[in-house]
Amino acid sequence: MNRRVSRAAIISSIVRKDFTEFSRDQLYVFLSIIGLVFFALTYYLVPDTVDETITLGVHQTGMDALVGQFQSGAATTEGLDLVALDTADHLAAAVAGDLAVYRTSTGDIVVVGAGAEPQAPKGAEKLDLTIGIAFPDRFLRSTAAGEQPTVTVYTDAAVAPEIRSAMASFVREIAYSITGDQLPVSQPAQGTAILGPDRAGDQASLRDKLRPMLAFFVLMIETFALSSLIASEVMNRTVTAVLVTPARVGDFLAAKTIYGTILTSAQALILLLALRTLTTGNWSTLLATVLLGAVMFTGIAMITGSAGKDFIGTLFYNMLFILPLMIPAFSVLFPGTAAGWVKAMPSYPIIDTLNKVTTYGAGWSEVADSLGVALAWVVVFYVCGLLVLRRKVRTL
Amino acid sequence: MVLRKDLALGPRTPLFLYAIALPVVLTAVFQLAFGSLFQPQPRLAVVDDGSSAITAAVRDMAGIELTVLDSAAELKHAVEANDYDAGLVLPAGFDEAVRSGQKPPLEMYISGESYASNRIILSVTTLDLVRAVEGRTPPVDVKLVQSGNAGLPISIRLVPILVMYALFVAGAFLPASSIVDEKVHGTLTAMLVTPAKLSEILTAKAALGALMAFLMSIVTLLLNNAFGSNWPEVVAVVLLGAVFASLIGLVIGSLAKDGAMLFTIMKSSGILLFGPVIFYIFPEWPQWIARLFPTYWMIDPIWRVAVLGEGVGDVWRSIAIAVGIGCALVLVVARLSLRLRAQMAAAA
Repeated sequence: MNRRVSRAAIISSIVRKDFTEFSRDQLYVFLSIIGLVFFALTYYLVPDTVDETITLGVHQTGMDALVGQFQSGAATTEGLDLVALDTADHLAAAVAGDLAVYRTSTGDIVVVGAGAEPQAPKGAEKLDLTIGIAFPDRFLRSTAAGEQPTVTVYTDAAVAPEIRSAMASFVREIAYSITGDQLPVSQPAQGTAILGPDRAGDQASLRDKLRPMLAFFVLMIETFALSSLIASEVMNRTVTAVLVTPARVGDFLAAKTIYGTILTSAQALILLLALRTLTTGNWSTLLATVLLGAVMFTGIAMITGSAGKDFIGTLFYNMLFILPLMIPAFSVLFPGTAAGWVKAMPSYPIIDTLNKVTTYGAGWSEVADSLGVALAWVVVFYVCGLLVLRRKVRTL
Repeated sequence: MVLRKDLALGPRTPLFLYAIALPVVLTAVFQLAFGSLFQPQPRLAVVDDGSSAITAAVRDMAGIELTVLDSAAELKHAVEANDYDAGLVLPAGFDEAVRSGQKPPLEMYISGESYASNRIILSVTTLDLVRAVEGRTPPVDVKLVQSGNAGLPISIRLVPILVMYALFVAGAFLPASSIVDEKVHGTLTAMLVTPAKLSEILTAKAALGALMAFLMSIVTLLLNNAFGSNWPEVVAVVLLGAVFASLIGLVIGSLAKDGAMLFTIMKSSGILLFGPVIFYIFPEWPQWIARLFPTYWMIDPIWRVAVLGEGVGDVWRSIAIAVGIGCALVLVVARLSLRLRAQMAAAA
């Protein structure tokens, strides 16, 4: 009795077989889960704040008004945190690391150590004071009188040279403001122009920047698993066994595409959920991007799985594809636009879209261009993968 | 004989090429790319139409990355894209106008994505340089008093990661994949038909891994200018690390039944193997955590002897722990080899 079996049923059977094979390998399932857990752990261990403030210790007498003026200016720019200390000796010792400096919840500064308070107040925040300015007594009067007083800038050797130099400039600018010397340039009417969205105090942290990278890595890593499966099916001739059944080469290829895409995208989506990145506002864009990435890497896995003669050979071919494709993933960690050759990499539009959506909250309209380019690359890789694998299967 | 065969056939496999190329490629990537990631400098773009002294002064200044661009439009576009933290447009005759008291406009642009600290550094520095162009004596003297030491630069703190890669890929991955390859292709069983014992075959695999790991670690240290002056002691601790890595390779190779499992084990154990080296990059993190990783005791003597210049006598505790873990690994390998022999007998 012959019963016609639909193509969908055949493809579904092959996909089920692949997933059964996957789930039977308990070690592989366990290690895949562990891999996701480690990715998530890495994410949560990375700092989620950006320190864009220079903490500057200040010792002065009789300059409260001037320091207050700079303090309020600093609060506006969020780039400078002024910490007032009672004596120049305390300041020098704090910068040298011999004394600890704390700020209480009420904003009071407490110095702890030899010759100061014996212990830190409860709940006080420890400050990392690596540079400080000690103005001499009668600084205002001496400067105004043109006596050219000496101001000491205490600095830890680890402080970057540009910060040391800027603090010396800062002292000179304070002195100029006391003597009433105007700037020898005029400021444009609108002041210094800020170009682009002003993110001062609201910078993307390293943790934010890691999100797209980790999701991309999960997509990429599964290339190894899928290419290995394809290579073993080719080497062990199980594909020939499958083709003895009513299944055609097209069914086999479709099944591998579905299996690879589901396996890869599911892990990426699980990771995005674990990183609390999928929201009602971005799920559709992220899903589309993840699916595109999954199909791209499925195409690559078809090429490498067909080419490799054994596992190590497959691994090597994977590396040839993966290493260059990894480069754009790192570009999101760096500020500014990526170099032209990085943008030309096939993986760039995927990582760019993931970055724009997860880090900067972009919507469909802002990532449509990138997704369009990604789609074009996906078509190229997938068609190449299909052709290479079909040729390999037919030669068996 | 087995080692000679592996040495003869090994270079034909892609993994050999991978083990040799990886330290060189990683050194280039880590030092060029990540060096600047961990220690970002404020980036200033300047359009200078009149050879201003400000541009020359910034160029001579440590810690500010200067780029000279051709047009104000290009500068504004680049600053907006955060390719630079700030941009300064200095038209022809700017310095002369400052000196003659004409108060020319200071055309400065700040990137919205630049850090607040970088904005302050670049703004204050620029104003100070403009004052310097004016030529007036500052109303104050500034004395810099420095304390402590600067610590190690990031380029040096990255060395443990690079050496660990060299040790792991060549020392662990190479013998592990070689064993798995022999198992998958059945050549391991074929070799056991000869007078060679399983223990001898595994020793030969480990020797190949240790040799490659040793050579590639030395190359990595040399490439990163971190070989130190006391070469016999450096050679000794690198050799110890190479043997340690090859023992890990034997354990993994004996455990993995095929290439896919080998890769999965490698992928998943990566965090345990590379966990300790992260702590060298971030010395402010609690360092005791690094000591919980077995591989810490493999890399620590290399770090302290080759990079910090300490003697073998200073690191004897780390060496003793590494040797202890190594002995434990030998026992594990012995146990696994019994299992492997039983599996092969059952398969035959």
